[in-house]
Amino acid sequence: MASTAAARAAAGAAKVVKPILSRDLNEAKRRVRELYRAWYREVPNTVSLFQLDITTRQGRDKVREMFDKNKHVTDPRVIDMLVIKGKMELQETIHVWKQKTHVMRYFHESEEPRATDFLSKFYKGHDP
Amino acid sequence: MAARVLQQCVRSLGRPSLRLCPVNLALRAAVAPAVTVHRPFSFAADSRRTRWLGQSRISSVGLLCRQYGDLPPLTLETIKDRVLYVLKLYDKINPEKVTSHFMKDLGLDSLDQVEIIMAMEDEFGFEIPDAEAEKLMTPEEIVQYIADKKDVYE
Repeated sequence: MASTAAARAAAGAAKVVKPILSRDLNEAKRRVRELYRAWYREVPNTVSLFQLDITTRQGRDKVREMFDKNKHVTDPRVIDMLVIKGKMELQETIHVWKQKTHVMRYFHESEEPRATDFLSKFYKGHDP
Repeated sequence: MAARVLQQCVRSLGRPSLRLCPVNLALRAAVAPAVTVHRPFSFAADSRRTRWLGQSRISSVGLLCRQYGDLPPLTLETIKDRVLYVLKLYDKINPEKVTSHFMKDLGLDSLDQVEIIMAMEDEFGFEIPDAEAEKLMTPEEIVQYIADKKDVYE
C-alpha cells in the first residue's frame, strides 16, 4: 500500500509537461517583468487616450494590484497563461478596442462592498 | 631657435583659461601656418598644440561653446549623483538608507526593482534589457553598469 503510493508519487513527480511559452520559472518571471514594464509605460497614454478621471499614479497602483493578486503562483504554465491574458488586455487597451467603461471596470466604482460582520449581513438579509 | 620661440608663444597662449572661442580660433589659425613652416620641429610644436588644446578644453568645460547640441560628458561622480537623486525621489525608499541592497535590506519587490530600473532608463535615456536588469540590485551595481555601457572610466 505504502510502496504503491510512493511509486505513484515518484511517477507523478517525474512526469514532464509540455510548456506553454517558458521552460522554467525564471523565464516565466522574466515574461512577467516585461509585461509589467509594458503596462507601466502604457498607463499615462491610457489615461489621456480614454480621458479617464484617475491620476497616473492611481492607474499604476491598480496595475500593481492586479499583478500582486497572482503573486503566489509558482507553476510556469499558469504564469504563462496569465501573461498571455495580460498581453491581450494590453493590446486591447493600446489599440482602443475597449471603451472607457471597460477600463474603469477594474476600479469597481459602482459596486458596493460586501458586508463581512454579522450585523450588516443580518440587515441585508443574510446573503451568504 | 625659432621653434623654441614658437613653443614659448604657444605655452603663453595656453595659460589664460577663460577665452572666447573666436579668439581661440584666430590664435590657433595664427599659430598653425607659422608652425608648418619649420618641418623638423613640427612634432614638438604639434604636441605642444595638442596639450594646449587639452588644457583649454578641461579648464573651460563650463564654457564649451562647441557642444553641437550634445549632453555634457558623463563622469562616475555625476552618474552616482543622478542615480542617488532618482532613488531619493522614489517614494517606497527611505531617503537615508538609500545605498543598500534593494531586496534584502530595503525589502522591495521584484516589480519595485523593475520600476527603479525603468526610472534609470528614463533618466539616462537608453534601454536596459531585462536579462541584465534583473541582476542590478544595489545602486553601486547600477552605477557600474551605466559606466560600462556609456564607456565612462577613470
